[in-house]
Amino acid sequence: MRKHITFFLFFMCSSFLLTAAGSKESQGAQSDSKVTLTVFHYLDKADGNAVKSFERMKTMFAQQYPDIMLQWEFLTNEPYHNKLQAMSVSDQLPDLMYLWPGKRTGQVTSNAKVKDLRPWLKGHENEFLPATLASQGDNGEIWELPQTLTATHVMFVNTKLLKELGLSMAKTFDELIAQGNTIRKAGYIPIAMDNKDGWEMQSCLLSVLVERTGGKEWILKAARGEASFQDIEFVNALEVIDTLSRNKMFSPGINQAEYGRALSDFVNQKAVYFIDGGWRTSSLVSELDPSLYDAIEFSVIPDLPSQKGQSCSSSIVAGTGFGMNAKLSMEKANAAWKWIWFYSGMEGSKIRQEQGMLTSYKLPPKESLPLLQKKLSLFLENTPGGYVIDAVLDAEAMGILQPLLQEMMFGNITPQDAAKKFEEYIAQNFRKK
Amino acid sequence: MHEKPDHSPIKTHFVQHKTPTWHVVVAYSILGMFTFLTIAPLIWMSYTSFKPNKQIIQNIFSLPHSLFLDNYIIAWQRGNLGVAMFNSFFYSFLATFITTFLALSTGYGLTKFPYKKFSAFFYSFFIMGLLISVHSILVPLFVMETTLNIDNTRIGILIPYIGFGLPFSIYLAVSYIRDIPKEVEDAARIDGAGYLVTFTRIIIPMSLPVTTTMIIFSFLANWNDFIFVFILISKEALRSLPVSLNAFAGGRSRDLGLLFAALVIATIPIILFYVIFRKHIVRGFAAGSIKG
Amino acid sequence: MRSELHKKLSYTILTLPAVLIYASMIVFPVLVSLILSFTKWSGFGTPSFIGLQNYITMFKDPVFLHGLRNNALIILGSLFIQIPFGFLLAYLLYRRLVNHRDFFEAMIFLPVSISAIVVAILWNQIFSPAGLFTSLIRMVLHDPRFVFPIFENKTWAISPVLVVIIWMYTGIYMIIFLANLQKISPSIIEAAIIDGARESQILFHIIAPSMIHVIFTTTIFAISGSLKSFDLIFAMTGGGPAHYTEVIAIYMYYHTFKYYKYGFGSAVSIVIVFLSLGLISMLQYIHAKLEKHYHA
Repeated sequence: MRKHITFFLFFMCSSFLLTAAGSKESQGAQSDSKVTLTVFHYLDKADGNAVKSFERMKTMFAQQYPDIMLQWEFLTNEPYHNKLQAMSVSDQLPDLMYLWPGKRTGQVTSNAKVKDLRPWLKGHENEFLPATLASQGDNGEIWELPQTLTATHVMFVNTKLLKELGLSMAKTFDELIAQGNTIRKAGYIPIAMDNKDGWEMQSCLLSVLVERTGGKEWILKAARGEASFQDIEFVNALEVIDTLSRNKMFSPGINQAEYGRALSDFVNQKAVYFIDGGWRTSSLVSELDPSLYDAIEFSVIPDLPSQKGQSCSSSIVAGTGFGMNAKLSMEKANAAWKWIWFYSGMEGSKIRQEQGMLTSYKLPPKESLPLLQKKLSLFLENTPGGYVIDAVLDAEAMGILQPLLQEMMFGNITPQDAAKKFEEYIAQNFRKK
Repeated sequence: MHEKPDHSPIKTHFVQHKTPTWHVVVAYSILGMFTFLTIAPLIWMSYTSFKPNKQIIQNIFSLPHSLFLDNYIIAWQRGNLGVAMFNSFFYSFLATFITTFLALSTGYGLTKFPYKKFSAFFYSFFIMGLLISVHSILVPLFVMETTLNIDNTRIGILIPYIGFGLPFSIYLAVSYIRDIPKEVEDAARIDGAGYLVTFTRIIIPMSLPVTTTMIIFSFLANWNDFIFVFILISKEALRSLPVSLNAFAGGRSRDLGLLFAALVIATIPIILFYVIFRKHIVRGFAAGSIKG
Repeated sequence: MRSELHKKLSYTILTLPAVLIYASMIVFPVLVSLILSFTKWSGFGTPSFIGLQNYITMFKDPVFLHGLRNNALIILGSLFIQIPFGFLLAYLLYRRLVNHRDFFEAMIFLPVSISAIVVAILWNQIFSPAGLFTSLIRMVLHDPRFVFPIFENKTWAISPVLVVIIWMYTGIYMIIFLANLQKISPSIIEAAIIDGARESQILFHIIAPSMIHVIFTTTIFAISGSLKSFDLIFAMTGGGPAHYTEVIAIYMYYHTFKYYKYGFGSAVSIVIVFLSLGLISMLQYIHAKLEKHYHA
């Protein structure tokens, strides 16, 4: 009997020991001169380009700073944000983390869990493009050092197709709609876009439309309650999307199309115009037939009839970057800064520029850059910008707005209805937070 | 009622009478349609995985010109699918083994001991677990694991798998063991065996049919699990197959060839498992383990 | 000799591990969820107690109610399509109406073993605007802009999801029924055939009555599975477009993990648990009544 009890206990213990053998390595081991930092990075392992340049950065950094050991964890998309949130809740944030400037990682940044980077940035401000160092916190804090400037609205144009169809770049909104017929008759898609996830329409089109109809500051005013989403400005913006949708300007089944479908269509020359974010440029570089490079124009949606905002503006937001845990000791913080600076400053920027990214750190444009990257740089330097809605309002608000946009495009509600419902939500929830 | 259960796969001793033709036609049509709906997508998925992405976009139906194996090689490497597969096996096997063992021991305890009130209480306690969806406990679970530092560990996955697998397995075990005749136990007792010996020497061997069923369901559930590994594991070395597969999906990697190759890689083990153990599945069920 | 102590010790050893693991993995977190459901908490600071507010908000939310309706449809689909269909398939195989039984049985059960993610991805590759089937229809109809309108319809968008669920899980019910059918003594059936009974008579008078208990059990599983349904739908549509295919488990996911409303999310999960409990209790009541009726 005793034998069997022993056997049971032994069995249980050994099972668990076996599995515990695969348990976490000890973290944060510190030897005399080495500082070890845990890093939570956002990296899509399926993106060959991103992985390559990241590996280069990792190697270079290790060479330059042999006394700093970095321990990596990677995730992308929703899992990344879920994990970050969970770590934040259980107070287990890593030393370095990849953050967004706005509300996307607001849980971490707006609750004093990361350090303000301005002390370290002192003296280096002019090395960056101006919009980069826009304040992220309520008192001008900078929580993460953006690695790039992101335009969430770029209207890519296949001018070769346009010419074939006997058209030229639409200069007014009405002209754009009129071109739709010709384009569709020839069997092409007028404006390729996906919207299954819902954020695409909000981020890549509605944001810039709101800037155009109401001016740059309008969205901030609406968020604060100084303007209402039922005002004519917002309704006009919605009506633009409604008009485009009713005139069949978008990809068929846009609200069923998974993100990436539109890019494929544009790359395969099935669409004349293509609206997406500037980040798509590197994919265009790798997937477009090089003979087309010349023919691709980086434009924006034409000016609207009743426009109050800047002419030919886009929606631009400072990019992502690394931030550091508020709880770091001075020694660790300085080491962490070295990585942050390496990544978004000169060294990392050089590497990322070669990958095709437009860096927020001012670098002389490389001659060897692909043509499309140069076009993106020009675009970013010359296009005035408005805010992106999801950087101003939070996830739950987007969870209300985005479905409303989809319903509007299905024809189930009018733009006025959508505006009314959104205003009701914001008034009762967002503004009270 | 206590005829020896028939363990062979479907067989009937029916006198063959003339079945009306239309019955047969209808039967074949229904079964055939179902089979088609099952096989056709899988076949399409398989042969498409051998085409490079460009070809797929050009013509989504066509058969491959030649066997383009790059999709598999790249998918395997990039998605770290070898490691993912190992992890899936590890988690599934170990969790299944432990769950089944514990379910049997608990089933025995709950049915063959005189502590009726306790047993009834514990039984309902476990059955409640069938109603709980993973997501309801995900956040408390995550916080618990990170506090105990077992997140991102193998054991941090095994324990929830076992915990969630227990209700169903215990349900099966209890239904089955309850019917093991008392005489069998009494005989063992006369021979001087204690409870634990009875468990190992008698109950376990006698429960083979239901054990098979438990193992199969448990393995399938654990293998196909997505959400636990998704939330609790961030280290790539510990990821399971469904999670690694997810990295290719959702429009994130627009190389359809890669995507399909990854799908095929993920589906093959389960099909193999199924082919090998099919007879046992049927036998297990036929032996009355899911009781009527 | 067997002492009381020995008995108690054995009982403990046999049951304790399972109880401990289960309690810590399920019971404890559920209790935490229950408590959290009465609070408002976004993960920072301490939760603030707000009583039943979460529940009130939930039941006034049209998105939640639409999700509940979708769940109801799934339950109905499971009960009135999957289970009968599973039974039908089992019956067809059992009564040897076709040859190659093993093959068909294998084919029907196969979808059960494929991961929901794989099914969802495959599905999207077939029915999305760029999918296999859509391309086929476009060719046939000579309409390059064709997309399936059902996915954009508020009332019916859930039906394709339902079809996939049926396809995926009917196999389980088939196997369960098949196993139980095989326990019916063949001699009874043979006797009936010799007596000249038709197929339908055999079905209704011999087979059906002995299946009652199995049907009851499978109904319980069907209900609890339907209310928990998440993986497949989430991977197929994410609950969209515009919440049309959302179910309450997905609703809970968004509010907990995207909007960081842990209190509210917990309340939703508690509602899921209680709904299951309620429906199953109702079932048990009906079953008990039926049994009394038939055994009276």
